[in-house]
Amino acid sequence: MKTLLKWFVPLMVLSLLLAACQPAATPTPEKVIETVTVEKEKEVVKTVEVEKPAERAVVRLSGWAASPEETALLQSILLDFTVENPDIVVKYEPITGDYWQQLKTSIASGVEPDVFYMDIFQFPAFVRDEVLLPIDDLMAKEGVKRDDFIPSLIDAFSDAGVTYGIPKDFNTLGLFYNKDLFAQAGIAEPTDDWTWDDLKAAAEALSDPANNIYGLGVPADPGRFPIFVFQNGGSIMTEDYSDTLLDSPVAVEAATFYTDFRKNQSGAIPADVGEGWQGTVFGKGQFAMVYEGGWLIPYLKQQFPDINYGVVTPPAGPKGEGNLIFTVAYVISRNSKNPEAAMRVINYLTSEKAQTKVLESGFALPTRLSLQNSEYLKTNPASSAIFRGALQGARPFVWGLVGSDVNEQMGKALERIYLENQPVDESLKQAAQVIRQKIAEVK
Amino acid sequence: MAQTVSTRPAGLFRRVSNPEKRKKRSEALTAYIFLLPYLFIFLTFTVFSIGYAFYLSFTRYNLLRPPEWWGLEGYRRVLCLEALLPRGEDAPPLACDDLFIKKALPNTVKYTLIVVPTQTVLSLILAFAMDQKLRFRRLFRTIYYLPSVTSSVVISLIFVWLFSPLGIVNQLFNLNINWLNDPRYAFYTIMILNVFTTSGTLMLIFLAGLQDIPTAIYEAASIDGANKFQVLRYITIPMLRPVVFFVVTVGLIGCFQVFDQIYVMTSGGPLDSTTTVAYLIYKWAFRDTTVKMGQAAALSFILALIILVFTLIQRRIIEGSGSVGSA
Repeated sequence: MKTLLKWFVPLMVLSLLLAACQPAATPTPEKVIETVTVEKEKEVVKTVEVEKPAERAVVRLSGWAASPEETALLQSILLDFTVENPDIVVKYEPITGDYWQQLKTSIASGVEPDVFYMDIFQFPAFVRDEVLLPIDDLMAKEGVKRDDFIPSLIDAFSDAGVTYGIPKDFNTLGLFYNKDLFAQAGIAEPTDDWTWDDLKAAAEALSDPANNIYGLGVPADPGRFPIFVFQNGGSIMTEDYSDTLLDSPVAVEAATFYTDFRKNQSGAIPADVGEGWQGTVFGKGQFAMVYEGGWLIPYLKQQFPDINYGVVTPPAGPKGEGNLIFTVAYVISRNSKNPEAAMRVINYLTSEKAQTKVLESGFALPTRLSLQNSEYLKTNPASSAIFRGALQGARPFVWGLVGSDVNEQMGKALERIYLENQPVDESLKQAAQVIRQKIAEVK
Repeated sequence: MAQTVSTRPAGLFRRVSNPEKRKKRSEALTAYIFLLPYLFIFLTFTVFSIGYAFYLSFTRYNLLRPPEWWGLEGYRRVLCLEALLPRGEDAPPLACDDLFIKKALPNTVKYTLIVVPTQTVLSLILAFAMDQKLRFRRLFRTIYYLPSVTSSVVISLIFVWLFSPLGIVNQLFNLNINWLNDPRYAFYTIMILNVFTTSGTLMLIFLAGLQDIPTAIYEAASIDGANKFQVLRYITIPMLRPVVFFVVTVGLIGCFQVFDQIYVMTSGGPLDSTTTVAYLIYKWAFRDTTVKMGQAAALSFILALIILVFTLIQRRIIEGSGSVGSA
C-alpha cells in the first residue's frame, strides 16, 4: 500500500490545481538494447555491435536536456563507454521540462535514476535529507582522486569531509565588453587587473543614455550582484547558512555601489531597454559591459555573430577578487542497486578524454585541473577567462536550504531600490528579515 | 466500486415481477457499465488524489523525506496568525510565510472583483449585439470566440510581445509604459488578457440563453406596448438570471484559480504584484529549494473553502428575492 501511495504523490496536488494530470515516470523497459545507433556529427551514423555478457548491471542516468547537440554528444560518449564496458548498460533518460520538479517527485515515489545531475544550488537539501550516496569509498575503488579536480568545485560537492558528487562542468562570471564601444569612447579596454574605480570610470565614459547606450548592465539578478558583496569582503550567508549577512554594512555598501550605476545613468537593467536578459542587450550593442557566464559565448556566436567583444575576469573590489561558481555534478542515489557500476559511468563521463570532447565542442568547461593547459583554452581567450575565474577567489552559487528564497529576496531588494526608490539599507534589511523568517520555517 | 453500486435501490439483482421495473434496472446496470471506465479514473485521479492531498495538508513534506505528521501547523503557517498582530522591530523571525495574507489573497480578491464584473458585462453586451440581425454575424461570432479556443500559453506569449516596452500597445497609444515589469501595471495587463480570452466563451453562453427566451413573451410585450428598454429591463435580464448565475460562478472559480497566464508572463513578479493564491501553491509545492508540499496542500484546501464561501455569497445576491430556478 505504501508504494502504491507513493506513486500518486506527483499527481495529487497537481490534479487539484490544474485539473490536468501529469503522466507518472514511465517504467523502464526490461529489454536490453543490443545495438546502439548514434548520430554523430550530423551525417556519420555509427553502429556498434556489443557482445552480450551473461550478467549486465543497469545504470539509469538522468539530467536535463540542454540542447539536441549536447544530448547527442553525451550519447556518443556513452556509446564509447558501452564499447569499453560491455558488462554495464547505461540507460540515458533525459528530463525535458522542469527538472527539479520531476526529479523530486521521482525520489518521492522511489523511482529515481541511479546517476543524476546535481546543481550546487540544490545540493544542501539533498545532502540533509540523505538522498545522495557518499562516494569516497567508491572513488578509491575506481581510482578517482579528489586532487585531480579544481578544489573549489570538488569542495562544493562535499559536506563535513564526505564527497557526494564529481563535478561535471562549471561556469563563472566574466566581464564581457564591447570592443567597438570602447574604441568609440576612446578608452583603454579592461584587463584582469581592473578595479571598481576603473569599472566606474569606464561605465560613465561609455554611457550615452540619449541613444539608449549604457556602460554596465546591473540587473536585479541574484546571480550577478553577490560578486560585488564578495569583492567588498562580505558574504551572502554565514558559513553554516544559519543566518544571512545581506544587511551587513559591507553588503549595503556593495549594493549601493551596484545600484548607483543605474542611478547615475552609467548602467541600466535590461527592462529599461525593453529586454528580458542583458545578454541580448549586450549583443545589440546597448550595454557596453555585462557580467555573464560562458553561456553567453555560443549565444553571441549564433545570434550576434558580428559583435566584437572580449572577456576578462571581474574587476577586483576594495577587498580583492570575488566571483560566483555555477557548477553541476554527477551524483549517485542512495537507493542505487549498482553503485559500483554507477561510479564507473561517472568516472568515464568526467575523464580527461570525455571532458576534452565536451570542451572542444564548446558546451562546457572541464573540471579537471590537468585540462587548464589544454590547447582549446589557449586558443579561446573568452572561455579561458571564464575558466580562470574558478581559480581566483570564486565561491559556489549556493545559499543553503532556503536558496530559492534568498535568491528571490535579493532580486526583490534590488527591484525595490530600482523601481520604488527604497533606500538601499532599508531594502536589504527587509530582505534579510524575510530570509530569517524562511530559515526559521525550514528548521 | 461497491459503494457506488449500493447507493442504488437495494434490490438491484432481486427478481422483479413488474416488467417495467425490470427494464429500468437493466438500463441502470448498462449505464453503470458504461460509466465504469470514467468512474475508475475519477476515483483514482480525483477522489483519491484529493483525499491524499487532504492528508498531506496535515504533514510536513518536502518530497525528499517521507511526510511527517504536523497537525494544524501547516494551516497556521499559511495563515501566519502572529503576523496579524503588531510586532516589535527586534522580534525573533516568524516561522511562517505571510505571502498569502499580505499579497496572494488581496491580489486574488482584487483580480476577481475586477475581472468577473468586466467580463460578464462585456460578454453580455457582445451577446446582445450578436443576437441582432447584423451583417457578417457569423464571422463576428467566430472572431470573438477565437481567443477561447486558443491555448492560454500561446495567448500569454503573444501578450508579452504586445505589451513589451517597444510593443504594439505602446506604439499605438504613444505610451512609454513597461507593462509587465512595473508593479503598478503588471497585474492589470494580466486582467486585460483574461477578459479578452474568456469573454468569447461567456458570450456564447449568454447567446444560447438569449435564444432560449420564448418569442411569445416578446410578442406579448410588444402587444402591451412595451418599449425596447422596458423589454430589456423586465423581460430579457430577468429571464437570463440563471445564465448570469452560471457565468458569474464559472468566472469566479476561474479567477480564483488563475495560474497559467501568471506562470508564463510574470512568474508572480515584479515584487509579488501578480502572485495569486494558485501561483503561490505552485511556488511552495515545486519552486522552492526546500519544497513545502504540506503547506501547499493546506493552502489548496483554504482556497477551495474561499471559493465555496464566495459562490454562496454570490448565489444569495443573484437569487435576490426571486428564485434562480433550475440553475
